[in-house]
Amino acid sequence: MAKVLIVDDEAHLRLLYKKVLTKDGHQVLDAATGEEALRLVEQETLDVVILDIEMGDTDGLELLKRFKALKPKLPVILNSAYSIYMADFKTWMAEDYIVKSSDIQPLLKKINEVVAI
Amino acid sequence: MIETTSPVNTGSRAALFEAHLGRSPLGFFYFNNRGQMEFINRSGAEIIGWDKSAAGPASLQDVEDIIHCGLTGRFGQILGGESLELSEHQFVNRQGRFVAMNIYCNSFYAEAGVTAGIFALILDVTDSYRKKVRLEETNYILSVISQVSEAVSSTADIDDVLRVILIGVTAQQGLGFNRAFLFLVNNAENCLEGKMAVGPASPEEAVEVWSRLANKHKTLAELLNEYLVSQESGLPRLHHNIQGWKIPLNENTIFAQALHDGKVINIRGRDNVTPESWPAMDRLGADYMVVAPVISKGNRLGLIIADNQITGRRIADSQVELLQTFANHSAVAVERSQLYDKVLERAEELAEKNRQLALSQEQIIRSEKMAVIGELTSSIAHELRNPLTVIGGFANMMLTTGEAGGNSEYLNIIYAETQRAESVIHQVLDFSRASRTPNCEIEFTQMTAKAFEHLLSKMRFSQRRPRFNPGPAGAMVWGNPDQLHHALFQFMWLTVEETTDECQVEITTAFDKDRAKMTIGFTGCDHTRTKVVKTLSQIFGSTTGTQKLSMLVAGETVRCHGGNYGVEGVEANFPSLYVELPIYQGVNKNG
Repeated sequence: MAKVLIVDDEAHLRLLYKKVLTKDGHQVLDAATGEEALRLVEQETLDVVILDIEMGDTDGLELLKRFKALKPKLPVILNSAYSIYMADFKTWMAEDYIVKSSDIQPLLKKINEVVAI
Repeated sequence: MIETTSPVNTGSRAALFEAHLGRSPLGFFYFNNRGQMEFINRSGAEIIGWDKSAAGPASLQDVEDIIHCGLTGRFGQILGGESLELSEHQFVNRQGRFVAMNIYCNSFYAEAGVTAGIFALILDVTDSYRKKVRLEETNYILSVISQVSEAVSSTADIDDVLRVILIGVTAQQGLGFNRAFLFLVNNAENCLEGKMAVGPASPEEAVEVWSRLANKHKTLAELLNEYLVSQESGLPRLHHNIQGWKIPLNENTIFAQALHDGKVINIRGRDNVTPESWPAMDRLGADYMVVAPVISKGNRLGLIIADNQITGRRIADSQVELLQTFANHSAVAVERSQLYDKVLERAEELAEKNRQLALSQEQIIRSEKMAVIGELTSSIAHELRNPLTVIGGFANMMLTTGEAGGNSEYLNIIYAETQRAESVIHQVLDFSRASRTPNCEIEFTQMTAKAFEHLLSKMRFSQRRPRFNPGPAGAMVWGNPDQLHHALFQFMWLTVEETTDECQVEITTAFDKDRAKMTIGFTGCDHTRTKVVKTLSQIFGSTTGTQKLSMLVAGETVRCHGGNYGVEGVEANFPSLYVELPIYQGVNKNG
């Protein structure tokens, strides 16, 4: 069981991931904004963060940098509808980059891998 | 008749003449009726070149031997009352000076009715005569130049211009040389290149041509006009002898010298020319000729060489001057014609460049449209991804966690349709990613080969492998390599997906000077033809949304690159699908 933080501005997506991950046996926290996410990262002992990139006014890649500054060893998995950011070197700080899909299995598999290490 | 009113003896007559006429600027002389000179004044003596101080009387014959005006022959008639009048009578006086004089000679009566002799009045008009001759020559050359200029102004064709110039040099109504040759400077090879020759190649030919021309009784202008209208080929032998002949300018020949110095040279035999000039003179077949450089505003354009090789007539200095003047005026026409040729060449180049620019602009506009479409579709695709993830994610979650209840059929449908929608998004995003690649030159067969490799990597193990028979390499097309790869791959993929294993799909490439073409053909048994036709109609008119969009995107990509696609050979046993693109013609490279 792992403590997972979902950072995404889409409420329904946060609900979906929360449901799926909870059923998979994980403890799930979620944040809709960057501010909220930073507070949780600082205060909580998290095992992995699932981070969206385009969140309205919040830039997920900037947030990634700040997460790593706060907790360098905290694994972050980028999860975006956009595949173009894969080429952006700022994403290399993340453990992985998974494009959003209705098939959530690849994301689940990655979370389990990261947590298991 | 000249009379005196009182009897005067011979001695006093001479003294009388001397007293009244001795210092006159007009020349006078008097011969008695025995043909002996009794008087000549100083002016008269100067005109004739006579030494007045010489001893002894001079006879009429002595004077006639100098002035040659028929005095002795007509002496009796003049004594009888006739007069002798000559204007501008020319002779060389005793001192070797050329003289033109007016002479008026009449009988002289000493007493009423008694003829004593002949009295002559002479006026030296040498200066005015020379001026008149000069004026006539100038008028003549101006007339020739004017007629030739008028003729050359009616054409810009260099061959016509050169021909007209040389007719002007050789025509009897023109400068009257037997033959004329025209060489133009070839700057690239630093030589004089033979361009045109006019004139008979032999005396026999000369007789035939000149008599024909003489019978026409035409002016120079009429002759030139006749040539321009009829475009007669002229005298091929002489012309072929010179055409393409190159005289190097770095050799010490008289021809190079004339051009470098910019001065006309009258060649009178081989003694006064360098031995390097002899081979050219041999080829021209003449030792006596005039070489006149053709120079316009300091630009050395060529040489006109003229000779009288057929008749052997000596080339007078005046003719040499005339030829130089003529060459100077012809230079403008030659230069104008050469410039006209260059202008035509440039105009053609410009027209071609404009055409290519227009094509290029069209392609750029299409590419820009494709890029905008790519950006738009990318935004839309990404925006759709989140909702699809949520819909499909919940459906899948309910199916996998047993929360479906009695709704698993519908949930399966929801999940399947979101998968299909995501597939469309994936293809569209592939296309939009491709839009960002800059345009470049692409080798068509190589690009097709890569698309084929991509196809093989996507195929299921169970599917029948298509064959690839590439044509020769070297067909270059211009465009977005990723977009075109995507398009070719889509055509292949759709074909393979719709084809059953009964058919063997074969992909070939070929090109000609305008188009590069990929053909997807089919081979198999006769009864598979129906299936092939059905396959092709499905590709182009698919009822499933995904394929139709892929086809649309691939097809539009090809069209935006100036290409085309379709089905050919419908009447044949197995129709085939083709995709063609224009061969890159070397248009400016815009990214």
